[in-house]
Amino acid sequence: MGRKKSNAASGLAGLVILCIASLVLFTIYVREDEGGPLHTVQLGAAEVLRPVRSLLNLAASPVQGAGDRIGNAFDGSREAELERRAREYEEDAAEAAGLRQENERLRRLLEAEDPAFDYAPLARVVAPVGDQLSDKFVINVGTEDGVKPEQPVVVGDNVLVGRTTSTVTPHTAEVMLITDQDFAAGVRLVPPDAPAEPPEGEAPYGQGLLQTGWEGYLGVNYVDLEARVEKGDFVVTSGRAGDRELLFPPGLLVGTVETVTSLDIDQYQKIVVEPTVRPADLQEVRVVVGW
Amino acid sequence: MVVGQQVSVVRAALLVWVGALLEAALTPLLEFGWVSPKFVILAIVVAAADQRDLQALLLGFFGGVLTDALGGGIFGVGALAGLAAATISMRAGAMRRKGGVAPVLTVAAALGVAVYDVLGLLAPALAGDAVPPLGTYLMAGVLPDVLLNAALAYLFGAWVFGAIVKKGEEEV
Repeated sequence: MGRKKSNAASGLAGLVILCIASLVLFTIYVREDEGGPLHTVQLGAAEVLRPVRSLLNLAASPVQGAGDRIGNAFDGSREAELERRAREYEEDAAEAAGLRQENERLRRLLEAEDPAFDYAPLARVVAPVGDQLSDKFVINVGTEDGVKPEQPVVVGDNVLVGRTTSTVTPHTAEVMLITDQDFAAGVRLVPPDAPAEPPEGEAPYGQGLLQTGWEGYLGVNYVDLEARVEKGDFVVTSGRAGDRELLFPPGLLVGTVETVTSLDIDQYQKIVVEPTVRPADLQEVRVVVGW
Repeated sequence: MVVGQQVSVVRAALLVWVGALLEAALTPLLEFGWVSPKFVILAIVVAAADQRDLQALLLGFFGGVLTDALGGGIFGVGALAGLAAATISMRAGAMRRKGGVAPVLTVAAALGVAVYDVLGLLAPALAGDAVPPLGTYLMAGVLPDVLLNAALAYLFGAWVFGAIVKKGEEEV
């Protein structure tokens, strides 16, 4: 069972050449745009792998289902029916609170047209994808269904769960979840019984950037200390994500404020958000293709 | 020692191909935080264990490239990690003569996975993406990942290695 040796010099030369080739691939991938050759290869591979991923996900679903049931047995509050009802309640309440103040402005923007969203067909979650530092999955709708990169992905009518990435094939689309560390969205923090604008003399509603920290919690960053934020406030998209205007339409519900803390030395409030939908529980979603 | 025993290149390549496929399709379903089975690294470590140097390097490189293509991560990370895994597995050959196959594959897999994980952090950082703090990642990600995959290599490595070896007729 002795190892067969080739010329040591040729082995070392091969190692150096292949290392350089790997670094060249990395550089090309990082610098090319989304239509570049290496991205195209990945798109093709995603399309080819779709049946395999579907099969494996199907095979794994009983195991995942059993895991969920075991988890629920230890935690009665996560009863599926209650979750569904809570989600419906929060959706309705968010529409009554967050959307009320956004609708007026949006109507003006759309010249009095109805600001209803256009959706791609209902999509099934095929399988999670990506490396261990990302939180993404693939859905079974693609460009042939009107889906494009960087469009919001929702559950129900307006509960935001993520956005499509640049990996969109004719029949599949990759979705980056709100719990992915690279996800960001501009949000507003709206009280459940909010008037369209805060009353005269009161603090403005909080606004900030929704992100997931490496500690694992979903939070809103850069919320001014003077802004009014309380536990239970709804977190809805504001229509901005950094300098990318209207990446998300305003008024999509993300979750509710779980905790608000700040110290005197802090420049911003620290806000932890409880997402309305747990991304791990998702089975069907819709892509918002127009708004 | 068995005379005439050699690793089939075709079987080794097939093993790496299966490992890359499992890495792209099955690993995301088995992730627990930052910990998951690294099928492609395990496959490369086993496949490269008794190959000629250049063959082992090519197996590692192309296994990694296949993982990059199928997996959707940053291109080049898998290729470099595959290359590292193949190199480590090759260099472990000297140790193998003194001990059994399983312990050597275990050590090689542990080192290969550690390199893979560190490259998986370094590449997105270089590409400008968000990455976790290094210390947190090493303790909560790399360490348990290495232990899991080393255990898998110890339990199944020797058996898979036996499956890709073409046995000769004579034994001494």
